[in-house]
Amino acid sequence: MQPILKIDLTTGKTEEYPIPEAWERDYLGGASLAARLLYDSLLPELDARSPDTPLLFMNGPITGTAGPTVGRFVICGKGPATGLWAESHIGGFWGPELRFAGFDGLWITGKAREPVYLWINEGRLEVRKAAHLWGQDTYETQTLVKEEVGRSNARVAVIGQAGERGVWYAGIFCDHGRTAGRTGLGAVMGAKNLKAVAVYGKKSTLPLARSGLYAGVRSASNRALRQDNQSQVMHELGTASAANYSEYLGAMPARYYHQGSFEQADNVSGARMSESILSGTSACHACVIACGRVVTLEDGARRKGPEYETIVSFGPNLLVDDLAAITRLGELCDRYGMDTISAGNTIGLAFTLYEQGMITPRDTGGLGLRWGDVEAIEKLIHLTARREGIGEVLAHGSRFLGRYFGREEEAVQVNGLEVAYHDPRGVSGMALSYATSPRGACHNQSDYFMVDWGNTNEDAGIGYFSRHDGGEKAANVARHQDWRTVYNSLVMCIFANIPPQTQVDLINAACGLHWDVEEMMRSGERGWNLKRAINNRLGLTRKNDRLPKTLLEPYAEGGSAGYVIPFDEMIRAYYAARGWDLRTGRPRKEKLFALGLEDVSIDLWG
Amino acid sequence: MSAIFPSAEWLEGLESKLNSDQKYAQVAKNWEGDLIFFIEPEGGLKEPLTFYLDLWHGTCRSVDYDPDPEKYSKPVFTLRATYNNITAILTGKLDPMTAMMTNKLKVQGSLGYMMRNVPTVLDFVRCAREVTTDIR
Repeated sequence: MQPILKIDLTTGKTEEYPIPEAWERDYLGGASLAARLLYDSLLPELDARSPDTPLLFMNGPITGTAGPTVGRFVICGKGPATGLWAESHIGGFWGPELRFAGFDGLWITGKAREPVYLWINEGRLEVRKAAHLWGQDTYETQTLVKEEVGRSNARVAVIGQAGERGVWYAGIFCDHGRTAGRTGLGAVMGAKNLKAVAVYGKKSTLPLARSGLYAGVRSASNRALRQDNQSQVMHELGTASAANYSEYLGAMPARYYHQGSFEQADNVSGARMSESILSGTSACHACVIACGRVVTLEDGARRKGPEYETIVSFGPNLLVDDLAAITRLGELCDRYGMDTISAGNTIGLAFTLYEQGMITPRDTGGLGLRWGDVEAIEKLIHLTARREGIGEVLAHGSRFLGRYFGREEEAVQVNGLEVAYHDPRGVSGMALSYATSPRGACHNQSDYFMVDWGNTNEDAGIGYFSRHDGGEKAANVARHQDWRTVYNSLVMCIFANIPPQTQVDLINAACGLHWDVEEMMRSGERGWNLKRAINNRLGLTRKNDRLPKTLLEPYAEGGSAGYVIPFDEMIRAYYAARGWDLRTGRPRKEKLFALGLEDVSIDLWG
Repeated sequence: MSAIFPSAEWLEGLESKLNSDQKYAQVAKNWEGDLIFFIEPEGGLKEPLTFYLDLWHGTCRSVDYDPDPEKYSKPVFTLRATYNNITAILTGKLDPMTAMMTNKLKVQGSLGYMMRNVPTVLDFVRCAREVTTDIR
């Protein structure tokens, strides 16, 4: 891979940092390599928004090539809401552009004296003033920065007003609607007074060890991906394609995870979108799937259409079934620069507490919080992004909101990150995905709901279990997490339904390795355990591997009515499969040694 | 009526089942679309096999066993699977959603429509399993 550009915003000092070869081999790139690079600097005493806390933008070894779904990059650091490892992936074109500019990472520390943006133009860095951009939304900022640097084809990663004001679930955005939404890294960027990073490059030869071989493998894999059933569904209907099926299984939560079915589910499905407001599709760099939606509403403007998480967050979760309204709420969050999953989840808790009488009109400035009220939702988004009134509390996420009103147990979150919209009562594997994810309740560290729906992979050692099985599927979940950790180190989109052998072939050709599937999976396992160790050092223990109370209660209706997740059995089986210590929650010494993490073992166990 | 798969009797039995099963009639009440299955030879099947079903609003309007594929040139759905995979679905060894998501059952046609109507697909498979007494 190419060097990382280190930038200290306090001193203005920069340095090109070559990635150690051994780490590149052991961790590949992306999130796993970022974990290795940041291992020594993510310390418990550092606040996520302290100037000394690093923020790392990373590519993978095949980013920017014409390989399958490799247009993504990842941003890593420490989460303001979780205080743990933070990792957020984002599509579009920015990552490839950074590569074309000659770097595979940006390692940012310090805090600028005043708002700035970075302009990386064919390898040259310029720090520019951004006071005039402070207060602009994410869409406007991208446009203005492109105008200022004089390149309409530059790519710009930005924060909005939410990131400037330190909303704990502020994200980083690029390419008008591509989102690194989760874990609040927009607030970390804002704390550094960094409004945007613009990149442009025209490097055409990327560092691939066996480029001829790589070209053959990536062509074949793209051809196969085009023919794949799942790719075709995603292209035709977007990520909301499975909304009906998810609702049928009782896996699409409604009314803040208290209602197991939603009669109007079809109104918010990908199929309904395609029959009503859809006017096109969009794709990230070199992607043959093109799951992105483009929609046209009554004002005639073409805009980003919502994906599954945004749809459920502002739809069934809040008892709204109007796709146009959901589109507008999603865009409002995008413009402010806030994660739609956490925003909708936190608002859902506010509605729940209002219904319970814990939040009153006195707390909301007279605003009534009633299910299905789109106007109230919109007002709460404004208040949150501006940190005004009740929005000051909502800006800290659902755990803080629950705690503030004496009902922390009502918050549907794990370790400070709001649960996404794949209910483990419908797809039980998600119980472990949420409880053990290194970044809190995340659906992308292991999208095991896909396996519970039937997307098994025998070649990857991921077999079939019933969607309501318990401990017997724990090792399968761990295996799936390892595989997805490989995806996240390549920074490859998890929608690429490609065989593991093809993935190995791509890695071998790009990195000059001679791996088999098992060696690739071991790399994933290493990355997963390293992130776990970082969190252990930050204070995470066995007690953190939990599910919120609401998810442990059965639904009264829907496709999973009556089902209770056997969580204790599952987590015990998971620990056994992982080789983790039940008392401390740490990976055991022998596990760390087996993965080549001797230094980490010494740190954790002495 | 139950029968051994694959046979004309089996397909007629499935037609009869789909037209008499109350649950299927309810679940599939909105389904509109004919299907043609191409089964590739493997194991116990030596020659390619085709069968056709015309499904409409919870009923089966007609079936055709091993027709000339040209006869049904524009079906709403074309499904392809190997003999071993199709028999695994019929005997419950392979989940139909797994078959689709892992491309063991290739689907041509609107996969979006299929995803919107997964309960119909699953209930169709239930009926097919219930009429299958044995595999040839």
